[in-house]
Amino acid sequence: MAFLDNSGDIILDAVLTDAGRQRLAKGDGSFKIVKFALGDDEINYELYDKNDARGSAFYDLEILQSPVFEAFTNNTATMKSKLVTIARNDILYMPVLLLNSDASTGALGISTTSPVTGTIPLAADSTTAKDLPLAEFYDASTATGEAVVIDQGLNTDSIGPSNTIAADLFEDSYSIQLDNRLLSLTDGDGNNVDISFIDDDNIALYNVSNPSSMIAPIKAGTTSPIAGPRGSRLKMGFRSSTDVLTSTYLFTRLGGEVTITDPYYYIDTNVRITGLTTGYRIDLPLRILRKQ
Amino acid sequence: MATTFKNLIPNKDIAVTRTLLNEAIPITGSIVSGTYDDENVKNYAHGMFQSVYDYPYLSSSANHIFDLTVGYSSNSALADAASVQNAKKINIYNQMAQVLVGYDENGNIREFDRDGSFSSADDKMKECVFVNFARLLGKDEIKKQSFTIQFATGGTPAAPDFGNLKTISDYNAQTDYRTNSPVGDYGFLYTSSVDITTSSAVGLLYYQAGIAVLTASVFDGEFGAPAATYDTASIDAVLTGSEISSSCDGIRNRWFDNDFNNTTELNSSIYFCRASTSEFNYSANPTYLSESQIRVKQLSSDSPSAYITTVGLYSADNELLAVAKLSEPLKKDPTNELTLRVRLDY
Repeated sequence: MAFLDNSGDIILDAVLTDAGRQRLAKGDGSFKIVKFALGDDEINYELYDKNDARGSAFYDLEILQSPVFEAFTNNTATMKSKLVTIARNDILYMPVLLLNSDASTGALGISTTSPVTGTIPLAADSTTAKDLPLAEFYDASTATGEAVVIDQGLNTDSIGPSNTIAADLFEDSYSIQLDNRLLSLTDGDGNNVDISFIDDDNIALYNVSNPSSMIAPIKAGTTSPIAGPRGSRLKMGFRSSTDVLTSTYLFTRLGGEVTITDPYYYIDTNVRITGLTTGYRIDLPLRILRKQ
Repeated sequence: MATTFKNLIPNKDIAVTRTLLNEAIPITGSIVSGTYDDENVKNYAHGMFQSVYDYPYLSSSANHIFDLTVGYSSNSALADAASVQNAKKINIYNQMAQVLVGYDENGNIREFDRDGSFSSADDKMKECVFVNFARLLGKDEIKKQSFTIQFATGGTPAAPDFGNLKTISDYNAQTDYRTNSPVGDYGFLYTSSVDITTSSAVGLLYYQAGIAVLTASVFDGEFGAPAATYDTASIDAVLTGSEISSSCDGIRNRWFDNDFNNTTELNSSIYFCRASTSEFNYSANPTYLSESQIRVKQLSSDSPSAYITTVGLYSADNELLAVAKLSEPLKKDPTNELTLRVRLDY
């Protein structure tokens, strides 16, 4: 008689993250676990070989042999990609998030201009905004207009953009993470967005849900990097923090110097945008510039 | 509606458990005296007690294992202004007694009692040896009926007779202990498991405090350190004629072995993370898609699948509070459902 398969019930030891320990230390009741998510950070699905001649049992052999890291205790360094629950099993295409850099949206793209190549340039203060010799940058001292526009949808040529995205794949809530020492989030019209919380690493998390002036369905006929059916569009702006606006301390500590005709300080940072419904996540590099 | 989180239902998916974890702790005599030429023994300028480490204490690898001290009551026959460190020995006794035994109805410090009964005036232990185990060893408490300490009897300070041992243990302590101490449970230390009578105890063991109190009379015959220059005729002679550290040296010189089990109270929350057949079958991993198409499917009728490596536990505002890892990726598809039991210890 064979043994029973007991793989359906697994005991795991959990470790507190630094943010968890901080909340526990506060003793204010903010440490309360109410939900869970499953992650697959270490998995490279490109290893899935559906053409393996040995049969379907071998398709995911390399994935199942992937070594798994020990737990990271930094709350922002783990659970970067989550498993998603969708009631249907017949989904072949899933939505992604892409940066919309079309000029008609008023937002910026990733710069190709040296020395801010590969980043979205932001001017820290009004002096920088006045003097910065770049064709495109965002003035974070006034935070008017959109700095970033994100489009969500099925990025495939197999299904035309005139098709409607399924309702259960439409993203209507996002979380946005920013380094709170450097920038705060605005709604793209210059209005500040409320912070959900700031973690122990000074990362501020903003949760934005429909209805919101920041989220709207992508209108038919508008330009979008999404090749197939379109979902929602998220717009946002950034406002310089007081330290960035008034001091060079963080620039000399976290950043460096670069010459764009005149010498400028810079800090490189990221904004992380996650769709809370579909779990898809995109990190965008930002370069904050301040004239010396 | 797609989702990445699943709520835990408080009385169904969250359980709280309490586990008592025991460790066996051996403290051999060679560590207490001998192996390190007393470089693991720390004396202080105040001279009130002696600290014993498991390695020379100047090393960062050293761990404090216990403190030794002696004292006597002001009612003891040994209490005399002429005795060396007389006041300090009385102070030590009183300090230990007020914490471990407490006060009587008039606010006077009680003396250590052999049978734990304060209704009788006799059976008091007025000259005591105190072994204060470090929290590192004792943890939350010493396990009842696990404590044994052995001392050499006979011989001389220069050559204690380790072939002739006195074994002291908390016999029957699992069923016979007292709770009338301010610091929790305590048991009686006897020299034999047989012939236990009301007053045959030679000491008290405070389980939660991690302190053993022995009457000085357990040490018979000559007593002292190997190269002592003081009067080593008996422990009474050392208690009156020498400093506290000399008595501690004498105790360590006779120490053959000490064993006990400690207890750690482990409180755990177990989160039952249930992934039913229709849940968590897709992934938001960037490599999951190729031009938006799911890599693990060729046709829409194929079953989706994803591979779990991590379980994240979240607050209501989506902050990651705890994380658990699997040892290897676990496949999730519509043909299976999983219950991952995630244990968080406090």
